[in-house]
Formats: sequence, structure tokens, C-alpha cells
Amino acid sequence: MVPDKSDVLYGSLGMLVLQTLAALGPLHGYRLARRIEQISDNQLTLNQGTLYPALLKLEQMEWIAAKWGESESGRRVKVYSLTKAGRRQLEQQESRWHRTTGIIDRFFKIPKEA
Amino acid sequence: MSKADRDLDTEIAAHLAEAVDDYVARGLDPEAARLAALRDFGGITQVKQVHREMRRPLFMSWLDFKLGGRMLVKFPGLTIVGGLAMAFAITVGIVIFQFAGLFLYPSLPLANGDRIVQLSLRDVAGNQQEPKALYDFVSWRDSLRTIDNLGAWRDSTRNLIVADGDARPAFVAEMSSSGFAIADGQPLMGRVLTPADEQPGAPAVAVIGHDVWQTRFGSDPNAIGRTVQLGDEHATIVGVMRKGFAFPVSHEMWVPMKTALLDQAPRSGPAIMIFGTLAEGHTFETAQAELTTHGRRAAQEQKSTHEHIEPRVSAYADMMSMDSPDDMTFMLLIYFFVGMLVVLICGNVGLLLFARAASRESDLIVRTALGASRGRIVSQLFAEALVLGGLAAIIGMVVAQLFLRNWGLPFLETNYGNLPFWWDLSLTPATVAAAILLTVLAATVAGVMPALKITRGMGDRLKQTTAGAGGLRFGGVWTVVIVAQVAVTVVFPFVVWFENTQLGRMQDFNPGFVANQFLAVQMERDVPPEGDAKSDAATLERNRRVAATFGELRNRVAELPGVVGVTFAETLPGGEYPERRIELGYDNAEAAGRAPEAPASFRFATVAETDTSYFDVLDAPIVAGRAFNAADAEPGAQVAIVDDGFVEHVLQGRNPIGQQVRFVRRGDPAGPSEWYSVVGLVGNLDVGAPYRKGPFAGFYLSGTPDRFDEVQMMIHVRGGDPMTVAPQVRGLAAAIDPSLRLVKIQRVHEINDGMLWVIRLWMSITLVMSSVALLLSLAGIYAVMAFVVARRTREIGVRVALGGSRRRILMTIFRRPLMQMGLGVLAGMSIIVAATIMFPYSDGPGAHEAGGLTAAAVMMQTGYAALMLGVCMLACVVPTRRALNIEPTVALRTE
Repeated sequence: MVPDKSDVLYGSLGMLVLQTLAALGPLHGYRLARRIEQISDNQLTLNQGTLYPALLKLEQMEWIAAKWGESESGRRVKVYSLTKAGRRQLEQQESRWHRTTGIIDRFFKIPKEA
Repeated sequence: MSKADRDLDTEIAAHLAEAVDDYVARGLDPEAARLAALRDFGGITQVKQVHREMRRPLFMSWLDFKLGGRMLVKFPGLTIVGGLAMAFAITVGIVIFQFAGLFLYPSLPLANGDRIVQLSLRDVAGNQQEPKALYDFVSWRDSLRTIDNLGAWRDSTRNLIVADGDARPAFVAEMSSSGFAIADGQPLMGRVLTPADEQPGAPAVAVIGHDVWQTRFGSDPNAIGRTVQLGDEHATIVGVMRKGFAFPVSHEMWVPMKTALLDQAPRSGPAIMIFGTLAEGHTFETAQAELTTHGRRAAQEQKSTHEHIEPRVSAYADMMSMDSPDDMTFMLLIYFFVGMLVVLICGNVGLLLFARAASRESDLIVRTALGASRGRIVSQLFAEALVLGGLAAIIGMVVAQLFLRNWGLPFLETNYGNLPFWWDLSLTPATVAAAILLTVLAATVAGVMPALKITRGMGDRLKQTTAGAGGLRFGGVWTVVIVAQVAVTVVFPFVVWFENTQLGRMQDFNPGFVANQFLAVQMERDVPPEGDAKSDAATLERNRRVAATFGELRNRVAELPGVVGVTFAETLPGGEYPERRIELGYDNAEAAGRAPEAPASFRFATVAETDTSYFDVLDAPIVAGRAFNAADAEPGAQVAIVDDGFVEHVLQGRNPIGQQVRFVRRGDPAGPSEWYSVVGLVGNLDVGAPYRKGPFAGFYLSGTPDRFDEVQMMIHVRGGDPMTVAPQVRGLAAAIDPSLRLVKIQRVHEINDGMLWVIRLWMSITLVMSSVALLLSLAGIYAVMAFVVARRTREIGVRVALGGSRRRILMTIFRRPLMQMGLGVLAGMSIIVAATIMFPYSDGPGAHEAGGLTAAAVMMQTGYAALMLGVCMLACVVPTRRALNIEPTVALRTE
């Protein structure tokens, strides 16, 4: 059976990128896209192209840094890594995310009326 | 392709290659792997577009300007109309800024020019300047610590008679020698004046300016040492100044201010001006403080003369500047109007740019979809307007410079005579800065306003995924812009018409005699250096001598070949005669039958003082009564001759001979003048200044030229140009009395040429303004109509498909522009009516009868308004016809 794939939640792609780079270290674009899909157990599909405007945006915010390097297969690729500002940003986003999901959780835990 | 584009290409290529490798490793064949990789990636072109959009700077980029340039070429009509209009607005702004700068921020083009000061006395009781300041000058010169190089000068215009006997007035300054030090006065030859020249018994010397040296001495290298005659005196030339030196104001020759002149009692002696430089380490404030202390002491010590006198120090160039609050308000008002003009014109250009942007709306929506912020799009449209504005600014500056050089300086000379040496109309850095500011203002009005309008609610339109059909509308702002501009377009032609009427009146001016056969010579005599100290006997003696001089000159000129008559008058026909309020002998008797305060009928006279031979020389026949005789010119002879205008307007047709007339002045404690008896009647010699309209009542008094305030000699020359006798007249005058200056020699029929030139200049300016306004008006209306109709194509198609009558459809389309035009015409007409009520044609006594619009003017204006309405409707025809001819099916498909 084909797994139920969800589109990347609107606006959360940046957070996923930051968290992936924080956990796995510097990555190039394709590897990053694949890791995001793999971490979600292939439940998230991503139009991989949309990653690039997102990366540019994070770079403009100075949350990630990019430099040219080589892929495992020896291709010239841009390698992205988390900056200090990016790490701080990620911590903020994480606590905000937990707070939001916590609130929403409470609503799902309202006991049903008998 | 930019580097960032190439980098992205490399990155995407690597991404796809890595993906293909992965799929191949998982067992797919290369072609299937390639397709899968492409599918995973999504739209490559879109990614690139979004990426590019995001890379654009938040504000303007070079690309925006490039795009702006491309737009200029792509929409040539808009470029020409909009560019010309903006260039015009900027030109007007620059010219006015430059003129205002002369008065508001004058500066001396001299080293240390900002430290050169003028010292003056202010009579605070009388609220006026006290020019008799020699006594104070001497006391300041010995004691002031804050001011160096203290000096004084006074105008001393005199006849300069060179060796060949040629006599012409020269603008001479009698000046302390320190004036040369202050104003960087280096001689080209010889030396400048020194303190030794000012001492009693020093030989009479003079320094001449560069122009005088060239024109009067033929650039003679041996001019130094030559003796010239200055009025009654002789002086030796000791120096020739370099070109451009004209200190203190616009002088062309300098003589020393003798120390003997300085010995004056407080507030007596001739009028002088005082200059100096701020001493090292001192400012205007410290100098003013010292002067104030000085003034207080003088007020105590010389209570009778100096109690209300305050000495003041001011920047030298402020001599000709405006500093009273009233003048400042006036200038601010002018700036305000310039600002309004720029806003109005650029508002119109904005209308055109809005229509252009609207035609690119779908493009802009796509860019918004790709992530461009509203600010981005607004700044792009601003950049486009700035490109247009920049082009306009360059044109504007070139035109302004040409205008200032060719018309600005002559205009100032016509109004002010000799211009101060620091008045320079070439563009200053401040003006260029102002032009740049104006351009930014223009681009903001023309670019940002429509951009804000078009990007409002862009997101909503984006969601509707329609290209804004019906979403974008012209709003209230544009209605105001169109109405205001139609109003202006209606007003301008009225101004042109008004000026043209004045021009016509001046050109058709019939002086009542053969003016083109007359030469007018305006004469002045040097004021005796004793100043105002003169006894009755001395005055009588002086007048006797002057009368003899004029008498001899008249006889000698009359003997010249071609001359058939010579006479004198105080004012030339066609010049500005004084108007005076009068009373008639029968007024009291008549008033008895009226309410005491009821306004009397026309009681003004235009007073002309003439020589007894005036009517004879002008060949103006005496219609009734008698001409003036010699006895009438004696002081105390209370007789007058009136003209037909006087009989018609004042006497209402009564017989003038024997009527009693006297002058009255409201609030004059001296009361009315003595009664004059009218002894003769002459045909109209049009004493009215020709550019004024209204009834004129000529009232001639006879006098002798020695008693005139201003002396005009009129020479009747038969056969040929009257100007040919001018050199002989000059020679005769110099021979008879060297101090008699022939200030101005002109043909009588040309005396108003200067005024005509100014009126023509104004007329051309107004014409250009009207044309620009009209052009913009039409372009604006056309753009609006094209836009509105294009927006409503679908609606029109549906209406036509449903069988709606063409007339009804037309009515719905035309209603709005018709209303705007109507409102504009109405507003314009109201301004005209208000203006004619507030400012009647003439400030003379005729105003109350002549003011208001004539029927012809109203007809003309109405016709013009109708014509404009028609032309604008014509502009609507093309887009409307296009819309009406659309197949309904096609119209329905335009989504």
C-alpha cells in the first residue's frame, strides 16, 4: 500500500531545513531534500525545487550559510550549514511549535460527553 | 545571465544528476531515472523565476531603471507627453527658484563675501531708514572694533565727457578707498584710489571700469593720465579696473569721497551707504552688540537727533534682498504655487503612468504571485517614473538655463535697471539640488501614487485568479486630478486673452500726434554737492541758471537741420501720468441737491505738466478757448487746458471754458489746492497709460522745465529717423552745460517697448503653460477613457448581446468623463469670475467702470469651453467605437 503522503506543511519547510542541518550537519541541496523525505519515513513529499527559494530565504536571513564544495560523487555542489543565528532561531521555533501543538493537543483530549 | 543565475543552474543540474544516480542505483534505467528526477524536482523555470524575484533587492535595482528605460521606448506617446509636461514643471520650478534665490539668499561672489557687511541707521519712530549717516560714519570709523575697512559711498551719476566732446552719463560711485580692498579690486592698469586722494587739496582723480575703458576710451593703452570732464569738474584717470569689478553695486567709475564732506552735523548732509568687513574673530552678533551699545550712547548724548535711531549691521548682499515678513510670505506663496504646479502636472503624468501600469496588471500580479512584495512593485514603478523624471530634469535644466540667459537677465534689467554685480542667473549647485528634489517629488507623485493604487488589494485579485477584470478602478483622486486640470486649462487661455488685450491696447495706442517723428530726451542735472542746505536766494539763482540752460538748449536744438520744433514735458505721451482727485467749482452747488455722502460722479484728472509750446509743437489744435501763453508758465498762474476726455467724463458735456477745478487729497491737512480756471480745450492726446483701460480726463498745466520733477525734451524731426539728431543734441548739451546729463534718448513711439516686451514674454509663458495643460488634459482623458472602456469590454459586449441600445451604452460610458469635464469647466469659470471681481483691469480710477467681463470675453470663453469639451469627447470616441464593435461572443471570452 502506498504510504499516505502529506505535502510539507505550509510555512514549516524552513524549520525542517534548520532542524535537519542541526541534526545531520552540512548538506547539499539534493541530500537535504532526500533526508527530509527519509526522516518523515517518506510520508512527506516535497517538490524538491521549492527547497531552493527556501534555502535562499534562510541564507538571506543569515540562519544558514552556503559555500561551494563537492558531493560524494564528486559533483560541484553548494553545501549548506547552520549558523549560530540559525541555531538560536531553531530553538525559538521549536519551543513555539511545542507550545502550539500542546495547546491543540489539549483540545483533542477533551473527554467526550457520555 | 547573472552570476547568481549561473550558480543556480549549476546547483539544479547537480541536484538532478544526484537524483538520477540514486534512481539508477535503485534499479531504474537511465531514461526513467531522468524523468523521475525531473518529476520530483517540479517546475524548473518557476523555481528559477521565484529565486530571481527573491534575489532582487528590497528597494530599487539597476534592473528597474533599465526596465524604466525600455518602457520609455515602448510607450513613446506617453514618454513625449509625460516627459514634456514634467520637463515644463521642472523648468518653471528652476526658474522661480533661481529668481527667488537672488532676493532670498543673495551672496557676494567675492572672497570673504559673507563677511562683508552693510551698516545703516534705522529711525524706529518713523520706521524708515535714515540715510544721512555721515556723522555716525565718522564716529564709528574711529571707534568700532568689530568691523574693519569701514567705508562709505554714494551714487554720483554724472556726465562723463571725454576728449572728443562726447558726453554720456556714467554711473559713478563717490567711495572711500577701502571699498577697493574689500571687493578684491585689482586695477588692470594704474592704481586704485588711496586715502591720500581723499585729502583736501589732493588733485581730482578718477578710476574707470573696464567697460567704460573699452567703450568710451576705445581700450586706449594710454588712458592713464588722461584728463576727463565729469559734469562741471575735471579729473585725471589714475586707474582702469579689471573686468567685472562693479563694487559697490553696478558702478562703472569711481571718485574719492573727500574728507571735507565728512564734517557734518548729526543726521544732516547727503545720503550715504556704509560698508565694512567683520573683524577677525567677530560675528554679526558681536558687531551688532557693539553697534547697539554705540547707538544707546548716541541716543543719550544727542537726544534731539538720535533718540529713536538704531544702528544696524546686515550682510552686504541683503541690500537688495527681501527680509520683511510680508515679502517672505510672498515668496513662500510662490514656492507653494510652484509645488502645486508640479504636483498638478505630475498628478496628470501619474494618471498616464497608472493607465500604463494597468495595462501591465497581469504581469504585476504574476510577480506578486512569485513573491514580490508590494513595496518591491511600488519601488519598481517609482524607478520607472524616476527614469522619465530624470530625462525631464535634464531637459528642464537646459531649457531653464537658456531661458534665464536669454530672457531672465533682460527681464530683470527692464524691471530694475542696472543689476548689482552679485546678481548672476547661471544655475547654482543649490538650484541643481532643488531640481533633483523636484524630480524626486515629480517621480513620487507620478510613480508612487499610481503604484500604490494599482497594488492595493493585489493579493485578493491574485486569489480570484482573474487578471483583475473590474477589480481595478479609477478612484476619487483621479477625478480630482482631472477636474483640477480641466479647470486650469480653462483659466489659462483667459490669462492669455487678458494679456493679449493689454498688448493690443498698447500696440494700437494712438497718441494723437505723429509720435514716430519725435525724439524724447530725458535730462537730469547733477545735484549740487551742498546737499540740502540751500537758501531761497540760492534756489532762485540756481533755477534761473537752469531755466537759462534749457532755454539755450531749446534754441540751439531748434536750429539743427530737420528739426521743426522743440518742447518740454514732465511725462511723455504714453508714459505714466499721475492721477489726482479733483473737485469742480459747481460741486458744492450740486451737492446741495444730493445726500451729503452720496458719491460724486467721476472726479479724477490725469495731470500733465507741459511747456507752453507743447500743443503747438505736437500740432494738436486748440478746439476752444485759447492756448497757453508765456504768462501762464509763471508760478501762481492758475490756468489749465483740458481735453475731450475731461469734458466727456468729468464735465459730462458742459462747456469747459471758465470752469473752476482744484486738487483735493483725502486726509491732507494742507487742504485742497488753489482753484484753477480752464482756459482752453484740446483734442485727446491720450494721456492715459496705454496698457490701462478706462476713461481718462486730461488736465494740462503749464510750467517751465526747470520746475519739472522729470524733464523730457521732445524734438520734432521731419524727414527720416529722429534718432539721427541724437549725437548733435548730446554735443550741444555738453557744450552748454557739462553737468546736464542726457539720461535716456529714445524715439517717442518706442517708449513702451520695454513694457511690451515683458507682456509678450508673459504671454509666451502663459501660452506654453496652456498648451502643456491642454495636451495633458487630452492625454489624461484619453488614457482614462481607453482604460475604462477596456475594463468594461465584457459588460459592453453583454449589453450589446442583450440588445441594449447603443445610445444608452454610450451614455453610461460618457457619464463620468462628462461630469468631470463639466465640473472642471465650472471650477475654471468660477476662478475667472472671482478673479475679475477681485482684480479689475486697472488700478486707476477707471476701474469701477471698466472692470468685469465684457460680453465678448464671456462668449469667447464659453466657446472655448465647448471646444475643449468637444475635443475631449473626441478622445473618447476611438476606444468607445472599438468597444461597441466587438462581437458579443469575443467580449464574453475576455476573462
